[in-house]
Amino acid sequence: MGGYDFRLAGHLPKLSRTPADPYELPRQRRGRTPQMHGRYPDFDCLSQAPHWDALTRSLVLSRLEPAGPLRFFSAPEARTLEAFCDAVLAQDSEPRIPVLAFVDAKLAQGKLDGYRYQGMPDDRLTWRLVARGLDESARLGGAGSYAEAPVERRDALMDAFAEGTLSGGVWETLETTRAWQVVSRSILAAFYSHPWAWNEIGFAGPAYPRGYARLGRGLSEAWEGKEAAGADPGRETAGRSR
Amino acid sequence: MSGRRSKALPGALLPEDNDSALLLDPTRRGVPGRERMRRYRDEDEVDLLIIGCGAGGGTLAQRLARRGWRVVVLERGPFWDPDEDWVSDEEGAYPLYWNEPRVIGGSDPVELGKNNCGHGVGGSMVHYAGYTPRFHPSDFETATRDGVGADWPLSYRELRPHYERLERELPVAGQHWPWGDPHGYPHAPHPICGAAERSWMGARAHGITMRVGPVAITNGVFGNRPHCVYRGFCLQGCKVNAKASPLVTHVPDAIEQGAEIRAASMAVGIGFDAAAGRVTGASYLQDGRERFQRAALVCVAGYSIESPRLLLNSAAPGQPHGLGNNADQVGRYVMVQGACQVAGRFPELLRMYKAPPPEVSSEDFYETDESRGFARGFSIQTVSPLPIGWAEHVLADGHRGRSLREYMRDYNHWAVLGVLCELLPLPDNRVTLADEHDADGLPVARFDYSQCDNDRANIAFAKRTLHAIWESAGAQDVLTIDRYAHLVGGCRMGSEPEASVTDADHRVWGIPNLLVCDGSVMPTQGSANPALTIMALASRLAERLDAKRGSASRPRRRRRRGRGALAEPGRP
Repeated sequence: MGGYDFRLAGHLPKLSRTPADPYELPRQRRGRTPQMHGRYPDFDCLSQAPHWDALTRSLVLSRLEPAGPLRFFSAPEARTLEAFCDAVLAQDSEPRIPVLAFVDAKLAQGKLDGYRYQGMPDDRLTWRLVARGLDESARLGGAGSYAEAPVERRDALMDAFAEGTLSGGVWETLETTRAWQVVSRSILAAFYSHPWAWNEIGFAGPAYPRGYARLGRGLSEAWEGKEAAGADPGRETAGRSR
Repeated sequence: MSGRRSKALPGALLPEDNDSALLLDPTRRGVPGRERMRRYRDEDEVDLLIIGCGAGGGTLAQRLARRGWRVVVLERGPFWDPDEDWVSDEEGAYPLYWNEPRVIGGSDPVELGKNNCGHGVGGSMVHYAGYTPRFHPSDFETATRDGVGADWPLSYRELRPHYERLERELPVAGQHWPWGDPHGYPHAPHPICGAAERSWMGARAHGITMRVGPVAITNGVFGNRPHCVYRGFCLQGCKVNAKASPLVTHVPDAIEQGAEIRAASMAVGIGFDAAAGRVTGASYLQDGRERFQRAALVCVAGYSIESPRLLLNSAAPGQPHGLGNNADQVGRYVMVQGACQVAGRFPELLRMYKAPPPEVSSEDFYETDESRGFARGFSIQTVSPLPIGWAEHVLADGHRGRSLREYMRDYNHWAVLGVLCELLPLPDNRVTLADEHDADGLPVARFDYSQCDNDRANIAFAKRTLHAIWESAGAQDVLTIDRYAHLVGGCRMGSEPEASVTDADHRVWGIPNLLVCDGSVMPTQGSANPALTIMALASRLAERLDAKRGSASRPRRRRRRGRGALAEPGRP
């Protein structure tokens, strides 16, 4: 890809023949992003934490604490589902946001979403069935489990799940497109509530009580992130895992 | 415009007969006066027991407490204190939603929870965007005008004075409104963010008129309600107290006037005296104990899912299928609005997370236009999702893995427009009781929803219109999500007991002292966000109830002034 100009849209998946390689983006210089690359290499939303109200600050900072032991998923379920979450979010190297730990905590507390599709089991059972189904499908391809399958196979199974084309075994007992909705919405909520993800996309965070004064097109507060432009002088690929 | 000048703050226009904005504390967000709130005993037969403290129940309580009625409101959720209970965070807003189990079905199931269901004092207005358009006069007679939907047993003209009064109480900010019954607003339009500017440019290029507002967010001096800080978290509960909800617009005055708001109290059944054909109060759960509050008049205000559920769970002798359900109408005609959203991509940074998500809107397509090939129409509004909402949008367009992450990284270049399509009231779109039970042992609600052909045509046309706007605006890429917004209907009012649940005065047919006052009574929904109309209906109901009670038995009006915030207004 070389240089980039985000005024243009050629990097977007629907417009580009070859999807942009995220590792071509600048390495994060301040704070962290998942996989340490991003559009806003000098922006760390956590640098604004002293300006947040205490209640919000304590909640957001708690997401950075090391995850405790899993309370809801078994160890084999967790191995499968961690690999699945990585596929959904393309987290293919460290540092990773520990998405499944957030999902596990929510399910262990019984925090569900206030509705269940007719014919679907409780969301907690749906998660367990998805883990079983992914392992079953991976074994059909010769792997010992989903997590042990090659990355291309994991991605292909994830895509097939999203498109509702998995069948056989557990998948026959589950409306797979509904099951995809159940698991994907929890995964997205966990990932995009994490400050590292906010750094990556240039979201400024809670902004309370300070708020914003410069609202118009192209305007920014002094403390908001600046988008990278041009080739990245400090490009590094050392962290790549594949 | 009527309204009185504040003695405390010269020049500030404040509503009549509602001191909520002055009763709030200028330095803390929680409602003052809870500790000295009047308490009633379960054995006291109060004048009015309201179930649910949202747009309908909160407004009704304030109005009638002002007129000296002894009012108790049972609210299942907490009595929120925005300083102590709310965070400025998308995922952290989870406690604001009704997250108890429900079942959704039909061919087009409607997701509930954070999408459209609140709990706690203030109801779902705590996490609505803040849009407060009026209904159009046509919304009250769609059967007569367009041959679809239903006619209301009341007209726009009857609600109009209540719309005007509520717009002063919330207060509503926006440009002069040219659609429906044209009108102005008490507060000036808010400044808009880059994403809304882009949306507006696109609409203009496509020949569509847009206006800033109407949003119920203070934009100027208004008692002790602070000015908006444009942090963009309207849907996560306003920690500022700038956005209106009954928690800040009506509950403070209701308490001051002697109403009791009894939070953490889940109504589980309505008492019914079969011999007298009247209700006697309601049983409710508080701290795991079942209690019964006696009342001369009971008003159900739990919104489109919980109001039907409570009536259906309150079967009694002579009412074997649930209270007021002998004509099999309870729970029917529940409506949602088709609310697809289309995002457009632009070269410059738009940062849609800044400023309130509700900014500019259009009602150019609100009324029926036969050339479009379907009845009724839709409105267009800016929406501006935060990161989790944006991720759901990207995922819905079919992106996962690297592709999802790429569109997410592009967040700040996008603007999002949404529509509210008027979907028609259908009898089989209904709330029933499911086979499963909640933690309290009560049958949970099941909500089935399926679109009709007119609905599908409306949604498809509206979506094409959004795509055309972005094309005219020169968007570099677009992403689309199909979804629903809002809930109304389920206990609709009407002129005939065979085809409705209540009469025009919100009385359940056949049970003269049982009322329903919330979004569930609406026979049609228009393309407008329902909050203001729910409040206006409550305001009208209060006026009629009090007039009926008459001057003979009119109690003394309580004025307990000169304390708290009233004594020291405008303290910095």
